[in-house]
Amino acid sequence: MNDFLMYLTNGVVIGIIYALSALGVSLIVGIMNVVNFAHGELYILAGYFSALFASALGLGPIPAMVAAVAAIFVLGLLMEWTLIRPTYGDDMYSLIITFILSIILQNAYLFIFGPYPQKPPNWVGGASNLFGLFFYGNQRLACLGVAVGVIAGFFLLLHKTWFGRVVRAVSMDREVASMLGVNPVKVNLLAFGLGCALAGAAGVILTPIFPVTPTVGVGVSLTAFVVVVLGGMGSFGGCVVGGLILGLVENLGAAYLDSGYKHMFGFVILILVLFFRPAGLFGQKQL
Amino acid sequence: MTTRHLKVSSGRQELLPWLAVLALFLTFPAWLGEYWLGSAIVGLFYVMMAASWNLLAGFTGQVSFAHAAFAGVGAYTSGILAVKLGLHPLLGVPVGMGIAALLSLGLGALCIRMGGIYLSLTTLAFSEILRLVINNEYQVTRGTMGLKVPFILGDYSKATAFYLMLAAAVAVLLIIRWLLKSDLGLMFRAVQNDEVAADSLGVPVTRIRVTAFVISGAMAGLAGGLYGHYLTLITPHIPSLDLMFLVLAMAVIGGMGTFVGPVVGALFLEVLAEYIRVWGEFHVLIFSLVALGFARFLPGGIVGLATAWLARRGAPAGKGGAA
Repeated sequence: MNDFLMYLTNGVVIGIIYALSALGVSLIVGIMNVVNFAHGELYILAGYFSALFASALGLGPIPAMVAAVAAIFVLGLLMEWTLIRPTYGDDMYSLIITFILSIILQNAYLFIFGPYPQKPPNWVGGASNLFGLFFYGNQRLACLGVAVGVIAGFFLLLHKTWFGRVVRAVSMDREVASMLGVNPVKVNLLAFGLGCALAGAAGVILTPIFPVTPTVGVGVSLTAFVVVVLGGMGSFGGCVVGGLILGLVENLGAAYLDSGYKHMFGFVILILVLFFRPAGLFGQKQL
Repeated sequence: MTTRHLKVSSGRQELLPWLAVLALFLTFPAWLGEYWLGSAIVGLFYVMMAASWNLLAGFTGQVSFAHAAFAGVGAYTSGILAVKLGLHPLLGVPVGMGIAALLSLGLGALCIRMGGIYLSLTTLAFSEILRLVINNEYQVTRGTMGLKVPFILGDYSKATAFYLMLAAAVAVLLIIRWLLKSDLGLMFRAVQNDEVAADSLGVPVTRIRVTAFVISGAMAGLAGGLYGHYLTLITPHIPSLDLMFLVLAMAVIGGMGTFVGPVVGALFLEVLAEYIRVWGEFHVLIFSLVALGFARFLPGGIVGLATAWLARRGAPAGKGGAA
């Protein structure tokens, strides 16, 4: 029973971070109809940056994280401006370009950061006794707290600000929104940057637990894609629910079924969703 | 990116350059030497891969990331049948091709009705899952050690492998050529250019897209099976995303949406790879940067450049590399 509760807690912690990462993909898909195949590579880069800023610049863990996410945000803006903008209206080329970019980044990381896993220092040490039943690492609890905070901040931004209203309007109906005076180019730019920053946020939060290597990005991207399809493309609430489901299924499945196929569960979910409910749990987009 | 031309010109005069190239290739085993003959075999494998990927991406507008995975399915199916049941590779390769076609039918039927993005996501996931299965089921697949399989036909000879690969590549190219000129090819381009218009004119959009996906997957299975039995060691490199990237880069650099582009791109990158091999692992980084440059600034690829250059010189269109 204690074991079960621990796997459950693990599932929630990981699931929330999956949700955070998937929100970035969902934002970009909803606004621009572009899937960023370099999503996982940006996640990794944020992890490397947070480790680098902490060790080379001597920043504390929190300033290093903020600086890393800010750097990814700027990188996302540059990507949109130089690479994605010329592909507007041609979904195929944006897929090809972001896929090529992910290969470039993987190989560049190999040369710059080396093949060995890297991680920033932990924010906190020790462990807490949860429910009087088992001990759980404080670092993981802190990750959960920060991730919940970032997600809450994102939903506040979405529902309480002018920018959020514009984002929701454009993802509902792009043409009507631009007729009402929304500048679609600016919204695209900001949405892409913000989507990348969310990948970065997930990266800096999870890197202290799971160190990064140059090639783990494919798995990160795929996880985010599965969550987005499960939740329903363009649905933000769906990302949170989908992330939690995937986190729980993976952790319980790995514990009780077969740990070698941990990432297989995500694929099984993807197939089931496509078969039974292709629009996802909360998807509204028509076929 | 409205600069992509989807013309498939016809006429007998354009056949001549192809026959000349084929005649040149037929003489390769006589004078090329063992090392470069090996490169030529690998080059022909990539010609099949890039041309069949381009049939899907360049002519129906669907980006699959499972093309290398289907080649892996072909290679591992035929390889495992040969090792476990002693099936002759020449029988095993068609079986592998059939399994690749069946899997692409399943994947395609599942996700293509949801639109292009879903196909890209699902094929990427499929490719990753295949990697996991190959690594986890190492008793059958030998995992990263690689599966030792018999040579394709008789005693090991690069000339045999070369002629078989050449025959397969010519067959694949002829089929693609024939498809593009048929009514089916017309419908391929209809669903790429304007899916709503095609639908309203009674083109069964989803069925056409799935058909293209299955044909292209079967061709990848054939290429992979032959390649595996040429290497005699099937490793997870065949179904890897690295190989997938190379195929994509060849089509993009050669010129997507043209018939000749992927052929030019595949042979060009394979020869280039031999020359920059000394730079070791840098060569993937260089390829990816070049591919990004082409995708961003020259979506017509080398063939697009050549066509524009010929047009500027006032040469008759449709001749030489302009096909």
